[in-house]
Amino acid sequence: MHFRWDIIVDYLPLLLKGAALTIGISALAIVLGSILGLAVGFGKMSSRPYLSWPMSGYIHFFRGTPLYVQILIVHFGLVPACIGHTDAVIAAITALSLNSAAYTAEIYRAGIQSIDKGQTEAAQSLGMTGFQTMRFIILPQAVRRMVPAFGNEFVVLIKDSSLVALIAAPELMYWSNVMRGQYLRVWEPYLAAAFIYLILTYSLSKLLGWLEKKGVAG
Amino acid sequence: MGKRLSVIVAAGILIMTMAACGANKEDSSGGDGNSGKVYKFATDAAYAPMEYMDKDKITGFDADFLKAVMDEAGLKYTITNTGWDSMLTEVQSGSTYDAGISSVSITPEREESYDYSIPYFESTNMIMVKEDSTIASAADLKGKKVAVQGSTTADTLMSGIMGSDNTDLKRFDSNAVAMLELDSGGVDAVVADIAIVREYMKNNPERKLKGILDTASFGSEFYGILLPTGSELKAKLDPAIKKVLENGKYTEIYKQWFGEEPNVDNVLNAK
Repeated sequence: MHFRWDIIVDYLPLLLKGAALTIGISALAIVLGSILGLAVGFGKMSSRPYLSWPMSGYIHFFRGTPLYVQILIVHFGLVPACIGHTDAVIAAITALSLNSAAYTAEIYRAGIQSIDKGQTEAAQSLGMTGFQTMRFIILPQAVRRMVPAFGNEFVVLIKDSSLVALIAAPELMYWSNVMRGQYLRVWEPYLAAAFIYLILTYSLSKLLGWLEKKGVAG
Repeated sequence: MGKRLSVIVAAGILIMTMAACGANKEDSSGGDGNSGKVYKFATDAAYAPMEYMDKDKITGFDADFLKAVMDEAGLKYTITNTGWDSMLTEVQSGSTYDAGISSVSITPEREESYDYSIPYFESTNMIMVKEDSTIASAADLKGKKVAVQGSTTADTLMSGIMGSDNTDLKRFDSNAVAMLELDSGGVDAVVADIAIVREYMKNNPERKLKGILDTASFGSEFYGILLPTGSELKAKLDPAIKKVLENGKYTEIYKQWFGEEPNVDNVLNAK
């Protein structure tokens, strides 16, 4: 089959512009999702049922329904209810953050609960408070175990961000859909987009691998 | 135990995959008898009233029209809802499907990659706005936020008016979502095929919408049946389409779906 490089070259500036928005949306969603996930994760681990039940429900909802539908609900329901009109970029960041928080919450929980109980007992026998135990004994060890899982989650989030083309947020997938429409060709736009996604996710993996080796160990 | 188990699991998956592939191969070699080839048409049946699913059946103007044409040509055919992307790749390669019929407008860029039948349908784009809107023509859309379905000629036209990299022009995957965006106040107008806009207003009278025709800015466009380059089917389809257009069968189907007379001469004389 004949592959038309010329139309990729034609659309490259728009694809790169879209990739910039993909990076922006993903980066914000990673940060917001990780912060929110921390709150949700600790909420779920809480021994108080009025905290743990809603947080558990939150995780079940966002992990148990399609992101596709979540994006539509946020775009046409949540965002207009808050700011009075739709806004695709705000909806994209919100939906991806809320979704990612459910997954990162479980990563926090798994990481913390993977630390042997003996560590807590030892810390308490030294007279540490619950907060001190968490801050100085559990978290430093747990975070190291969480890094690979976080890396995985962030890579998934970058790829999932392609779904927001659904609500016409002008990111990478959106512009490749536009390209598809003009020429009615499928492979050139999709493979070009896939290649750019690969560059993004590969760079992120490398960055996280470096962090895992160096940053967190210190 | 762990190692042995993983070997067994891997072997199991491998065997099942091979079995599945084998089954597929047998399936496809089953029906290539030379007597009376069955032509396979692909469509994206999500564009009421042109082509859509009525429960599990493909229906709409295109489905009825295709039936008339294939009856006229004396050819057997099947039509499958493949979705838009699959329809494009399949028709371009031409190995599994022989043609696509899905309200595909004929444009020069697309003719670089496909062949088309002769035109069979005249369409124009319509602007849909809320009843109290001040927008009255295509020129009024400049500086406004407009939603279209991507890959449609509405997209091409509005890209021309507003600039293709203008982010106030929002391209959605389907007209249904684009129209929802108008309801939610995210855009000021939707531009789409006249048949689609009318169908939507008919089904949603409580939304208080109006349609605006601007034939000066939005000229006629014509749909064709999508074919692989160099398709032998074109020589059989074109005379049959011409016949169906001329003998009144087309007018009958058109009236049934749209409740008005088509301008058959425009379609016949289109180039």
